[in-house]
Order: sequence, then structure tokens, then C-alpha cells
Amino acid sequence: MGETAREVMDSIFFTLRPTQTIAEAVKLFKEASEASGRRVFGMIVVDEAGKLAGMLSVYDIFLLVRPKHTHIWGEMRDLDLSGLLEAACRRARNLRVGDIMTTEVITVAPDTHLLLVIDIMIKKHVRRLPVVEDGRVVGIVYLSQVFQHIQDKLMGR
Amino acid sequence: MNSQKNVLQGLAVREAMRRQVISLPAGAGVDQAIRYCTKYKVNALLVTGDRGKALGVVSKTDLMGAYYAGLPLETPLQAIMSGPPRFCRAEDSLDAALDVMRTHQVHRLYVEGEKGGKAAGVLAYPDIVGLLYRYCHQCDRSILRSGKKGKDLADHLTVREVMTPGVEAVAENAGLAQVMEVLAAARLAAVLVQDASGLPVGVASKTDLILAYLHGLSQETPARVVMNSPVQDCPQEEVLALAIQQMIFSDIHRLFIYKKDHRDIVGVLSLSDAARFRSGACRACLTSRIKV
Repeated sequence: MGETAREVMDSIFFTLRPTQTIAEAVKLFKEASEASGRRVFGMIVVDEAGKLAGMLSVYDIFLLVRPKHTHIWGEMRDLDLSGLLEAACRRARNLRVGDIMTTEVITVAPDTHLLLVIDIMIKKHVRRLPVVEDGRVVGIVYLSQVFQHIQDKLMGR
Repeated sequence: MNSQKNVLQGLAVREAMRRQVISLPAGAGVDQAIRYCTKYKVNALLVTGDRGKALGVVSKTDLMGAYYAGLPLETPLQAIMSGPPRFCRAEDSLDAALDVMRTHQVHRLYVEGEKGGKAAGVLAYPDIVGLLYRYCHQCDRSILRSGKKGKDLADHLTVREVMTPGVEAVAENAGLAQVMEVLAAARLAAVLVQDASGLPVGVASKTDLILAYLHGLSQETPARVVMNSPVQDCPQEEVLALAIQQMIFSDIHRLFIYKKDHRDIVGVLSLSDAARFRSGACRACLTSRIKV
């Protein structure tokens, strides 16, 4: 059994464009989850030439949805907060993927060793890594796939 | 009732400051700064150098200036930042911090960390309003808690008493360059957008303009393309506490204030106005507030 990113990466994956809206992106998250049978919480963003432009994760969307002053009223128990979530989502909906995506993306190559992949995931707190070859994204490595791959070894089988 | 007076007196910066300082290295591009301002909902970023040393500040005003000047989105932040950042200490009084902000006409102060040159926090006007709001909410006289809305409102300040009177407006077909000129000349964060008959149809803010910059829109693009509508407004006789609540809950920095109906805008209430007022939202606080 191989020990590189190539062995565990998904080479069929959905991508986003920077010009898509957050509403469109979230719809694609849902479709990708249904198609892959895995909950998709982040997606690669590519430009028109197919080059990696960034990543959009649920965390980026959460930052956008979270009201700036939550710390002020979050501890107040007697407030009527009905409708706030709906309003926050409505404000986020029309922004673009490119407005909030993370552009400092760490990538690996197909032949990057899995131990190095694990090291990056630990140090950088990332759960998914794009796999890039000759400037093109050829796959994506998920934390869950890496774990699944080494499970048997960890169990001593 | 002592606790209701001089609401800011005796309070230290550490009680209102934010501990998360959003920063970027000096070599990061303007495009990245626009994304950070959008995602983290901040009006300015700290620009850092070697080992996280604070070098300068890039605000939405600076980003808008870069758009106006036609600078490419890859322009490094060090080319447009102002600096060095102005610092205060966590133990400084809020009153003193507000004085520094007013004297030097800055909208935020960074809080000195234990390691020299690094920021451990940031204090901006909305954070001070947040603290005032918390005080008002705890007060016996509060109308902010459920079931208190039927109370006598005579003591409560109205928006009219705190708002900035007058309003700057642009036509909906005015180009973005003109919108930026109006914002810069009047030192505003947003302008009202009116249709051909003079009715308010939206608001164009610095946030909308820097996003237009990121999206590559030309400066001739009409204001209506980037504006937000409808106008977030409230009547001038609205109780100040409720207007502040509306802004804090809705994540907006300003409300346009109307006199008789939504078409008759007469002023703007921003979180900065409320902070400069240095008081809670009723006269129990007002009696001892410090004039600014």
C-alpha cells in the first residue's frame, strides 16, 4: 500500500469560482456532500484558467454570518433574538466566494508522504489539502481519508 | 444610582477592548486586506513587519483611496498604510483613550502587549458603545429587557439628541468616483443614494466601494449597482437605546434618521456618534456625562 498523498486523495472533486455567490457555494457544498457520501465543509476555488485561487470553508462562512457584537448580547438572557439568524444569513447570501475565501492555501504534491501530510494538518489546523501538480489541482486530501488509510496499521493488522 | 452615572468613569480600556487583532504582513496585497475587512467585519487592519511588530494601519478609507488612485489590487499594504499605529494600555481609562482618539482623529487605538511593539488588543468606537449598551441593559431604568417596553420613556434620550444632523446624498446614476469624492470630502463612511425624484433608495458605503474595487468594477459604475437597499433607518424620536440595539443586532454601523416618513432623511446616527456621547442612553447617565 502506497504512502503518499496520491493514494488517499480524491481526484474527483467539486470546485468553486470566485465570482459565485455564497448562496451558490453553499448549494454546491450540499450537492457535493450528496454526490460523495461525505459531508463537505470546504471546497477548492479555481480561477478561469483552472488555477488554484483559494479555499472556501464553513469557517469562512461562519465568520461572515457571526454578528460583530455577539460578545455583547450573547450573555444577555432576556433578549428577543428571533429573526437574527435569518437576517445574518440574508446578509451573507449575496457576497461572493472571492470576497471571503482564504487565499493563503497550503498545498501538497501527489508524491508528498502521508506523514508529512499529517504533520501539515496538525501544524496548520487544516482538514483538507489540495494536491497540485504542474500548477493544476489534481486532487484533494481529507483528514478523514488519511485516517481511514492508516487505521489498519494503527490497529496492528 | 451611582453606578448609572459617569458610565465610562473608572472603566479601563481592557473592559471594552477586543482581544482579536486582525492583521496582515506589510507585503500582503490590497486584495487580501479587502477580503479580511469583509470576512472579519473590521474597518481597519494592523500591518505587521518582522516577528509581528506593528508597523502601521490600513483602513477602509485607505483601501478606498487606493481604488480612487487606480492602484492595482496587488499593491502591497506598506505602500498605502499609515503609521505608526497609535497605542494605549489596557489599564488606561476609557475616558483617556477617547480623548486620544478625538485629539488625533483616529477611530481606534491598539493596546500594547507585553512584548514591545506588538498589539494585544484593539479599541474602537463600536466596542465602547457595546460596553455602554451592556450598562444600559443592566440598569434599573432599562427598556431593553423583555417586558419593559411599556415603561415611561420621558427620561430616555432620543436619537435626535445624539445624531449628526444633515445628510450627504448622491444620485443613483452617479459614478463610484463621485461617491468616493463625496465620502472623502465629508469624512463619511456612507452616503445616501437617491433616485431622480430625490427619494432615498439605498446606501453606498466604503465597504461597498472596496468590494467594487475587488470585483474590478470601473469607477464610472453607477452607485445603484453597488448600493445596499433598502435604507436602514429609524425615526428621529426613536429612543436611543433601541436604535443602538438595532445597530448592534443588525451588524450595521449607522442608521439614517427620518423626520416624518422614510423619504425625509434628516441625519445619521453612527455607533461612533453614540460612543463620542460617552453616556448611556438615558438622562440618569446624561446628568454627569463629560462634554466632548
